[in-house]
Parts: sequence; C-alpha cells; structure tokens
Amino acid sequence: MSLVKIAGLHKHFGSNHVLKGIDLEIAEGEVVAIIGRSGSGKSTLLRTINGLESIDDGEIVVDGATLHAGDKDLRPLRLKVGMVFQQFNLFPHLTAGENVMLAPTVVKKTPRAEAMEIARKMMAKVGLAEKFDSYPDQLSGGQQQRVAIARALAMNPRVLLCDEITSALDPELVNEVLSVVKQLAAEGMTLVMVTHEMRFAREVGDKLVFMYQGRVHEAGPPRELFANPQTEELASFVGSIN
Amino acid sequence: MAYQFEFTPVFEHADLLLKGAGFTLALTVTGAVLGIGLGIVGAICRAWQLKPFNWLFGAYVEVIRNTPFLVQLFFIFFGLPSLGVKMGEWEAAVLAMVINLGAYSTEIIRAGIIATPRGQLEAAASLAMSRAETFRHVVLRPALQKVWPALTSQVIIVMLGSAVCSQIATEELTFAANFIQSRSFRAFETYFVTTAIYFALAVLLRQVLMALGRRFVIGRPA
Ligand SMILES: Nc1ncnc2c1ncn2[C@@H]1O[C@H](COP(=O)(O)OP(=O)(O)O)[C@@H](O)[C@H]1O
Ligand SMILES: [Mg+2]
Repeated sequence: MSLVKIAGLHKHFGSNHVLKGIDLEIAEGEVVAIIGRSGSGKSTLLRTINGLESIDDGEIVVDGATLHAGDKDLRPLRLKVGMVFQQFNLFPHLTAGENVMLAPTVVKKTPRAEAMEIARKMMAKVGLAEKFDSYPDQLSGGQQQRVAIARALAMNPRVLLCDEITSALDPELVNEVLSVVKQLAAEGMTLVMVTHEMRFAREVGDKLVFMYQGRVHEAGPPRELFANPQTEELASFVGSIN
Repeated sequence: MAYQFEFTPVFEHADLLLKGAGFTLALTVTGAVLGIGLGIVGAICRAWQLKPFNWLFGAYVEVIRNTPFLVQLFFIFFGLPSLGVKMGEWEAAVLAMVINLGAYSTEIIRAGIIATPRGQLEAAASLAMSRAETFRHVVLRPALQKVWPALTSQVIIVMLGSAVCSQIATEELTFAANFIQSRSFRAFETYFVTTAIYFALAVLLRQVLMALGRRFVIGRPA
C-alpha cells in the first residue's frame, strides 16, 4: 500500500496547462527526488500535495486524506504533509523555538509544556538545540532552513515535501541542511524533494522522477536513470547538469 | 505701550487646566484603544474582502477621511438626537474619536496586513493553520509592528484634534482654556500655557506609545 497516491492529476494556471496528468505512488519511507528543467511543474506538483494549489482534475491521497478538484477543507491533508520552502519562511517575530512550537499549540492544541518539549527535541534533531531562543534574523541561512525543517517535523507529518531547500543557500551552507535530510531519510521519513543536487539525489534517493513539460517523463531508481536514461530529454538534462 | 505679561490669573485655574488635560488624555486613550480595535476589524474585512463588510468599511473610510472632524462630531451630538439617539457630550466625543480613528487605522493597519510576505502565509497554511489562526499568530504582530509609527502619529493627531470637542462642551483641555480666557481676559497667557500643555501631552504620548510598541507589538529585545 502506498502512502501517497497521485492519480490523473491536472492543474492549469489560466490557459497554461501546467500538470498534464500526473500518476505517482510513493511508499512509506521512500525518498523521492524530483528533477527537471525550470518551469516543468515540479513546484506546482509539490504544492498540490498539501493543498497550496488547487487541482483541476484527478486525485491525491495521503495516508487516507484525500484531495479532489474543488475541495475546501484542506486541514486533514495538511496534517499529514509537512513542507519546507526554498526561502525558509520562518516567522520573523518569533524565536526559533516559538516557530517550532506554534503549530502544535495552535493547531493541535498541544499543552505548552509538551509543545516546548517537542520543539526542543526537534531543534536538537536538526542540531540547533542551543539556538532555541534566537530570532530568525540572528541565524544563518542554513540554520534558518534547519529550523524550518524542525518546524515542519514538530507536526509529525507522514511525508515531508522539500522544494529546492538548498537553492537559496550559500554553497558552504548546503551540506549542513542536506545532512539533516539524509539523517531523516535514514530514520525512515518519507521524503519528496525537488532538488538540483544530483549527487544527493543519487545517493539518498530511492526513486528519481524526471518531470518534463508537466508530465512524469521518466521515473525509477536514481542510479539506473542516471546511468541509462531512456529518453533523449532526460539524457540531455543530465548532460546539461554534469 | 508694551503688553504686560500676567500669568497669575491662568495659574490660579491650574486645577481646571489639569482636569482638562486629564480629560483630553482619557478621551484619547479610550478613543485610541477602541479606534485601533475597530481599525483591526476593518482592516481584516478589507484585506480579506469579506463581503459585504469590506464594501461597508470602504465606504465608511472614504466618508470619514473626506469630511471634517468637527462636522462628524456635530452630526453625532446634534444630528443623531433627531433620530432618537441621544448621548452626553463625553459619550459623543468618545464616539466621534473612535469613528474617526477607526477609519484612519483601518487603512493604516490594512497596509500592514497586505504587506505580509506570501511565503509567511504559505508556511502557516502548510502547518495546517486556519486563516484566523494565521492572522492572529503570524500576520497581526508583524503588521502592527510595521505600521506602529504611523498609528502612533495618527493617535496624536486625534488627540490634538480632540480640541474641537470643546465645541459641544466636553470639558477637555481646550474647553478649560476657553473658560479661563473668558474669565481672565488673558488670551495670550492662557493659550500659551495651553499650547505648552498640548505639546507636553503629545511628546509624552508619543514616548508612551513607542515604548508600548516595543514591549507589546515588537515583543522582543531590540
Ligand atoms: N501562481 C502561479 N500563477 C501562474 N502561473 C504559475 C504559477 N506558479 C507557477 N506557474 C507556471 O507554472 C509553470 C510551472 O511552474 P513551476 O511548478 O514553478 O515549475 P518548476 O518548479 O519546475 O520550475 C510555469 O510555466 C510557471 O510560470
Ligand atoms: Mg520550482
């Protein structure tokens, strides 16, 4: 049984047909890396999985929570899905710890003391226990992104979506974020990452998804796909990256 | 012949001036708390386009911003009784100030709300926070923080504008000054002292509001 099941997914922005029938299944604990050229629909696909974008046709099921065209109540889905953004998007008026505590207290009504404990655990997990009381603008980009991961994890999601989470970082800060992700993967977290880090995708990914013009053009084990692309488009994309 | 300054007749009524200044402050504080509260509600309706309230608040803001405060006050105090709505001069003055400040702060706070970066809203949504939860915990404080200096200035403008409440015999500072002037015939001295008091009140109020902003709105050590 797959944890995430996407079937016949279509999405338009006005007359721009951005997702043209996506079918994708993700098993529990699987690490999926999504690659593809800019504008191929990677972010849009990720954003539909937690209801940040509405869908026009098809179905998304995450651990029993469903999304169809026209659905208004997105809460059940969002409770199952965490997301980390390229630009971190920490709440600037709250400390790192408060950022992590906010959703558990507000959404899940977790008692403060318990939420604090969860937050401390998550901050320790991303290696930032000592930054609990720092404000976002007192942290480096890499640290902010790790807090953003801790914030998503504090809601105990079944799957974590990461949209180019190292793209806004200085090169020397990329690894500290990737190593957190690697550790999550090793702990069995289900991950869907849009990434340009091909080496990372190859090392950590269980499945590689190549998006091309709004479709899943090729999918399979990363090593096989990189070594032996079945389509010209993937071959040329891999060529252009390396 | 040179004018002989004579402040004694003014200071003989120091108690009236003090009481008037107290009234002005009380009027301003009440008006500010309720007016900013009204402004937050108005700003939410406008920013979220909650029909029909966004339209109602839009019309309200336009009417208030394009008419004189004195006329608004007269309308409430002299006009409304014709419809059977009667109130004392204190209530009328407070109501006029709330309505006036409410309109300006609706626009000021709305500007703060719509300046919220989209990424903040998306992060909150991805954490399964509802729109109301997002507003309360993510949007409101940074929005108020951004516009707090503008709100502070508006509160001071309203405090200075409250002088016209003397026209309906609200016993605030200007009312006291007019009374003292009419008894002492010392216009220069009376209004000189009154001006100084308004100035001091405005400076004081600005300091207090900025301190409040740092403490409650910004809410973090600088
Ligand atoms: N909010 C939006 N409104 C209109 N068009 C959008 C929006 N978001 C993305 N698009 C369009 O959808 C297409 C896919 O974008 P995106 O999913 O961001 O691609 P990728 O992440 O692969 O670079 C692009 O043509 C982009 O211009
Ligand atoms: Mg993208």
